[in-house]
Amino acid sequence: MKTITAFKCTNCGHVMYPRHERCLNCNNREFEEIEPTEKCKLLTYTIVNELPWGIDERGRVLGVVEFENGVRALGLIESDDPKIGMNLKTDWGVVRVIGGLKTYGLTFT
Amino acid sequence: MRPVVVSGAGMIPFERRDEDSLVDMLAAASLHAMDDAGLGDRPVEAVYVGNMASGLFNHQVSVASSLVDRLNLLPAAADRVENGPASGGSAIKNGLLAIASGYYDIVLVAGGEKMREVIGPRSTDIVAAMTHPEAEYIYGVTLPAMAGMFARLYMDKYGITREHLAHVSIKNQGNGLLNPYAHIQMNITMEGILTHPQSHINNPVVADPLHLYDCCPVSDGAAAVLLTSLDVAKELKVPIVEIAGFGQATDTQTLQERSDPTDLKAVSLAAQNAFAMAGIQPEDINVAELHDAFTILEIAESEHVGFFEKGEGAKALARGETRIDGKLPINPSGGLKARGHPVGATGVAQVVELVWQLRGEAGERQVKDAVNGFSLNFGGFGNNVLAFVLRREA
Repeated sequence: MKTITAFKCTNCGHVMYPRHERCLNCNNREFEEIEPTEKCKLLTYTIVNELPWGIDERGRVLGVVEFENGVRALGLIESDDPKIGMNLKTDWGVVRVIGGLKTYGLTFT
Repeated sequence: MRPVVVSGAGMIPFERRDEDSLVDMLAAASLHAMDDAGLGDRPVEAVYVGNMASGLFNHQVSVASSLVDRLNLLPAAADRVENGPASGGSAIKNGLLAIASGYYDIVLVAGGEKMREVIGPRSTDIVAAMTHPEAEYIYGVTLPAMAGMFARLYMDKYGITREHLAHVSIKNQGNGLLNPYAHIQMNITMEGILTHPQSHINNPVVADPLHLYDCCPVSDGAAAVLLTSLDVAKELKVPIVEIAGFGQATDTQTLQERSDPTDLKAVSLAAQNAFAMAGIQPEDINVAELHDAFTILEIAESEHVGFFEKGEGAKALARGETRIDGKLPINPSGGLKARGHPVGATGVAQVVELVWQLRGEAGERQVKDAVNGFSLNFGGFGNNVLAFVLRREA
């Protein structure tokens, strides 16, 4: 499965996503590339009715999850009844069409 | 650092201004500020224009060059300053430091945005361009969505209810009715936006848990201040309102990388730096303009800057302590909620309101005997924040 690349500091172990050139915790510049785990937990979410130009829908659920390795990321929540703390499964899919091109990103079911 | 005085303050009413270009608005607000200072033909040495996205909203860039040309302030130095929703605050910072350093004596700072040139979803998309391209923007995240995710956590943690949020909205809309420069002139009630069974028709969900009346409107507008050295201010014989404190701080671009996403560290740090420079404490402030782009932010900021303990801001609000006649009036102008939020104008408009309040020129919304004023301009989603302390000479 395609997915995002997150980063683990080789010095202090701090995990980061998105990319930083220096560790947010210790300024080290070397990182191990890591991937999201299949399981994750929902930290917060919102149900958005007023979406930007190019997304013709209402009620899109966006949320921040934490993976089992501590990485956190925003993504599309494909659940009609989101709840803080619920367990979700990590997936990958089309999240937006920009200039006619399908843009892929994290989705959670 | 030598003292810097806001010698002139001006703005135009924020609203939908189909007839005016961005530079029309900046020019009108600038003349208002220059005339307010009685500047006459004295040369302005430098101009800073706070503007977030004229290139995207209006297909025009280099608006600072355009403004000096329009006003015949030539050959003044001119720069546009961009820092998202804190562009206005950052423009003031540039003017402040330029005078404090001794390099210039007379600087014009204008902030403006013309957002209504594009339709709503376009405007939402342009504003969302400040989010992280790969980790946020592609998912269709909007600023109300960021605020919604933040609000859910903050409300859970501190027991804040939708009624508390409605108190912010009702207070600020009420203040806006006393401000002829405010965009939304509307008296709203708890029943109309929250307690009536059909209130959701007036007040639909934008980004749950935030509803329409939790969000600022999309506005056109501009505001300006003329900053001078103390010597020039004395020559101009203006009331002395000094920028006594300034602070700015940044935080991670994405909310999720903050160890505690409810902790607005950049807000706390910017405020602490501004208070330290002014040599005062939060309790010395008599009037504040906070960045209530969303109702939750007025509550969260009032706590993070130190006016109230965490979890106490909403209670103080509900007790009426932040009303114009309360212990610490917050957003007597109506705030972003009622005055509107033409992005680049906001940080300047906040300082304009404080100047009017400290000089006793705020009309029906005048806060009594204010000496120290505070403003907070919140950029990104709390990732680039500026704070100012303004002080009237005793």
